[in-house]
Amino acid sequence: MISRRLATQAIILLILCLALAIVIFPYLWTLLASFKTEAALNRPLDWNFTPTLANWQAMLHSEIPRQVLNSIIVGAVTVLLSLLLGAPAAYSFSRFRTGGDGARFAVLLAQMLPPAALIVPLFLLMYTLRLLDTLWAVVASHLTFILPLVTWFLIGFFDDVPPELEEQAMVDGCTQWQAFYRVVLPTIRPGLGAAALFGFVLSWNDLFYALLLTGKHSRTLPVGIAGYWTFRGIEMGQMSAAIILAIGPVIIASFFVQRYLVRGLGGGAVKG
Amino acid sequence: MQPLLHLKYRLLAPLVLVLGAVIGYPLAFSLWVSLHNYTLTAIGQAKLVGAANYLGLLANPSYWRAIGNTVTFVLVAVGLELILGFGLALLLHHRATPLRHLFRSLLLTPMFITPIAVGLMFRFLLNSQLGIIPQALKALGIHVDWFGSRLALFSLALIDVWQWTPFMLLLLLAGLEALPTEPFEAARVDGASGWNMVRYVTLPLMRPVILAAVVIRMLDAFKVYEYVYAITRGGPGESTETIQYHIYRVGFLYFRMGEAAAMAYTLIIVVLILVILLFYVLRRSAT
Repeated sequence: MISRRLATQAIILLILCLALAIVIFPYLWTLLASFKTEAALNRPLDWNFTPTLANWQAMLHSEIPRQVLNSIIVGAVTVLLSLLLGAPAAYSFSRFRTGGDGARFAVLLAQMLPPAALIVPLFLLMYTLRLLDTLWAVVASHLTFILPLVTWFLIGFFDDVPPELEEQAMVDGCTQWQAFYRVVLPTIRPGLGAAALFGFVLSWNDLFYALLLTGKHSRTLPVGIAGYWTFRGIEMGQMSAAIILAIGPVIIASFFVQRYLVRGLGGGAVKG
Repeated sequence: MQPLLHLKYRLLAPLVLVLGAVIGYPLAFSLWVSLHNYTLTAIGQAKLVGAANYLGLLANPSYWRAIGNTVTFVLVAVGLELILGFGLALLLHHRATPLRHLFRSLLLTPMFITPIAVGLMFRFLLNSQLGIIPQALKALGIHVDWFGSRLALFSLALIDVWQWTPFMLLLLLAGLEALPTEPFEAARVDGASGWNMVRYVTLPLMRPVILAAVVIRMLDAFKVYEYVYAITRGGPGESTETIQYHIYRVGFLYFRMGEAAAMAYTLIIVVLILVILLFYVLRRSAT
């Protein structure tokens, strides 16, 4: 009996290790490639190579740092606006059932809209407003999916706050608005944090909008990475370094949002 | 009127205004564009053509090829993700599994990273000259052309499986953890174990969660773009041309914005149907 249980455990462990190897291998291989010379990159099966920092140095002296900064600015502005606009609205949807099911459905639909449906009019709009190749254009396009997503997340978190909490605050002399921002908002701080972090990651990861709305002055990091492998040539080592720069921080951040993600994604539909 | 009644609309107004500006107005404008002969090279001369852009799609083989490719991609990718994700979720749910939280945290990471990086990493890994996977297979005497016309779409689906099985795992594991324990105890008393337990107790209880996870993944997989852009650009031929990539090509490489907008509207209808289904499933599983 005990040996059978041990055997089952060993098999489970083996399968999980295999899955883990499949997940981790591309990360490690890319990290390794970022330290290889061009000659070493052409011999993938040869493990005997002298590591070099040249790729990282070249990458850090290219346009990439500027693009990282652009990505951070776009992500931060988008998330800040989404929280400012989304949190009061989510509270209204949650506490007052404003708009009922139809409103919640609209929020869900908005975040699911395919970018291809919005890119043509957004591009023409930005062209008319002379905002092409500015970070404002990217922020506007990112708001189309991050603002509904943050709102959807927060509806779920507000639904979990017992109404007695603000009723008590109002008995103590707060207005409804004061009860909202002094009592209710602080209790959903983890939800706000998770929504902000997840929203930032989605903005940081976007290629489609940024590729079409930016130009020489406003490229974000994913656009920069995509530019390494073109029909004109490949800079594999530098590209690998830039990829590590783009995914490393996100992998670390993911450990903090994973816990809250399911509650957030269930959002406004789970209760109500 | 009591101020409370005003407050709920005051809280909402900024959101409605901004979403109206970035989604509502563009969607309306896009409808207008889709009814015109609108090209980026001659914006001033857009002519009303009625439903011609939509009718033109019916006889457009590239459009149907892109739809077909996208549906194949979605079915293969989401199907595999469901099977693998459910299997892994069962293993990680098993209380006796050692280090399950560590495994969980690391196995979930691919869903958070940018798809263009995933596309480029796999282009690199699977490249026939530089890639370690074809080189290693060659050493074993196996020759696979991952991005040739026969396998390319399937390879892209496998990349999607690598990145998005974690999402399936996340939702299914949460679903398993939320299941009531009584049915399992009753089934154990009746002598059920192992596969029978999964087949007759877990699966029926998990049906709403599975359905929701599948619909969310389908909605997302329909938007596949980055892997195509990073690796095949729709080729060889049109074998990996997906609908989102096709709209990009027609609108921004051929400048035929009216036609692209019409295609986008047909895509919106598919998304609308799926979202209605998702909302219904989420609501039902909540009550």
